Amino acid sequence: MAKTPIDWSPANWPRLLYRFLTSFKLATVILILMTVVTLLGTLGQVEHGLHSAKEKYFHSFFFTDKIFGIPVFLPGGLLLMLVLFTNMTLGALVKVRKRWKGAGLLISHFGMLMLLAGGFITWAFSTDGYMALYPGMTTNRVESYREWQLEVIPLSKEGVAEKAWIYPSELLDQIQSDEQRIIKTEALPFDVVINGYSRNATPIPVTAPMAASVTGREIDGYKLSPQKTSKEAEQNLPGCFVEFRPKDGTTPVEAILWAGSYRFDPKEKPMPFTFTVGDQLYGALLIKKSWTVPFELRLDEFVFERHPGVSMARNYESRVTRIEASEPDKALEIKMNEPMRHAGYTFFQESFGPSGSQPGDEMFSQFAVANNPADQWPLWALIINGIGLGIHFVIMLVNFTTRSRNKQAHAAIS
Amino acid sequence: MMLRHFIRYVAATTFFLSVSGCGDRESTAGLVERELSSSEREFKLAESSTERFRYQTRHAAGGDSSVPGSGGGGGPKLVFTTPEGWTDKGASMMRDINFSFGEKGEGECYVARLPGAGGGLLANVNRWCSQMGAEALTEEQVAALPVKPLFGQPARFVTVDGTYSPGMGTTDTFANYRLMGLILASDAGAVFVKMTGPKELVTKNEAAFDQFTQSIDVNTN
Repeated sequence: MAKTPIDWSPANWPRLLYRFLTSFKLATVILILMTVVTLLGTLGQVEHGLHSAKEKYFHSFFFTDKIFGIPVFLPGGLLLMLVLFTNMTLGALVKVRKRWKGAGLLISHFGMLMLLAGGFITWAFSTDGYMALYPGMTTNRVESYREWQLEVIPLSKEGVAEKAWIYPSELLDQIQSDEQRIIKTEALPFDVVINGYSRNATPIPVTAPMAASVTGREIDGYKLSPQKTSKEAEQNLPGCFVEFRPKDGTTPVEAILWAGSYRFDPKEKPMPFTFTVGDQLYGALLIKKSWTVPFELRLDEFVFERHPGVSMARNYESRVTRIEASEPDKALEIKMNEPMRHAGYTFFQESFGPSGSQPGDEMFSQFAVANNPADQWPLWALIINGIGLGIHFVIMLVNFTTRSRNKQAHAAIS
Repeated sequence: MMLRHFIRYVAATTFFLSVSGCGDRESTAGLVERELSSSEREFKLAESSTERFRYQTRHAAGGDSSVPGSGGGGGPKLVFTTPEGWTDKGASMMRDINFSFGEKGEGECYVARLPGAGGGLLANVNRWCSQMGAEALTEEQVAALPVKPLFGQPARFVTVDGTYSPGMGTTDTFANYRLMGLILASDAGAVFVKMTGPKELVTKNEAAFDQFTQSIDVNTN
């Protein structure tokens, strides 16, 4: 039988697009590509680190890589999952013939779509950060592992502040190393000029031996040496040059800002660069992006056990009190595999510090704080998937036994 | 969060495209005011850039991993070329670079940095002399030591023969050894490159030592 030629006229394009998006071949190609991307992403973690690999391979529309030394251009995980979601929605839910026989497959496809949707919600809306507390400390503030922002703070002579002006991490992170960004604002009596922003840098005194290799400006006896960004993004400490240009035309103030001036320990106070404009003292520093959770957490006790004779941790857990305005205080324990889940946030016992602490030293407890609206979706998706496949199995079994019985009946009659 | 990033990225890109063509990029809506919570209100007024940059307290070799949620910052990382036949053993507690060489790995070479003067040139040369069981040098003798380039600067080149006592918790001694090293010291920092091993092996590796020390640079890429 002759094959019907495809109608390529523009009027038929929507139909062709629908046919393409619902095709089984497309799903097969996507699944093969996802396997390749997963493999490359897993191997890429060794070279790039976890965060960078996730960004490059799974949170991207396209990426380039080398396979056996040959450069390849491939669709990223985000694009593949969006196309697969569309393909499965149209092909397996909309286009498919609705019959009782196919109910199980319909349900299991719905479970797979839920899994993909959960992945998208996690990518789009989840937050992750950490909270570090010494016993007796209380806070509701969570800090980012990787995002830094510039803050300008009017300070009292004692170093106390009520408010700050932030240059957000999303904008700061866009600045290129050779770029000058001038920030004008009515709220402050000066403009802020950012130069030479580096995602990982270290200041070194000009008298240090290594300073000879560092080009760039010298301010107050220091140069800012850009560093190769670390595989693990949380290891990077950005730095930049800033200039504060008073609007009254007086002499600008220059400084190097470095993220290492922020606190290295929950008990420390951040050390801003300080300058005076008019009679007001100001501070400026690179500080971790932070946000609040809708309740406070107080660390009552940090239980830390070491292996005998060595400083290696054997077990550590935190006894905390959750403080909320609307509810009575609640005492809880957060252990390695027993996180605290509340108000959409999950607190995991993550680590401890300070590093190199010895038995008897006071230690802080660090919690990883995640907020993921789709936290439990993978579990529900797999349950739905399992139910769907179970129903499909039962339907197939009933069909098979019915057909076998019919065959036997036919055989008996004939 | 990532969707927010994406949206902000698009917004930022649109903004930058709209002002592209200007040498400087001006932002009029960058600063956002926020109230500080009670745990954020106190700051330390640092007396100098050295205090603010923690230069004296930063671990010169590898950073301070005590930073919650971060690896902390240390001295600048280094790049170098590994000489043929040497095995890179990675960084350790006080050392940026460690190598071993020789059939049984009996030769070793390392690079260490200290944020201050590290005791000064004379004291360090004589520390090495003492490890080799050799007599201490006078200030004049140290000043007369040959120089070799390190980070593009003249570093004092030390060669001492004798019985090597590495110390550092071990009482072992190694007879007929040679110590070859470079010291670059200033008030703000000191760099030490030290190679030790059987005399013959170290002599054989002097060219490799020179090749290595001249290849060391700050990693700015």
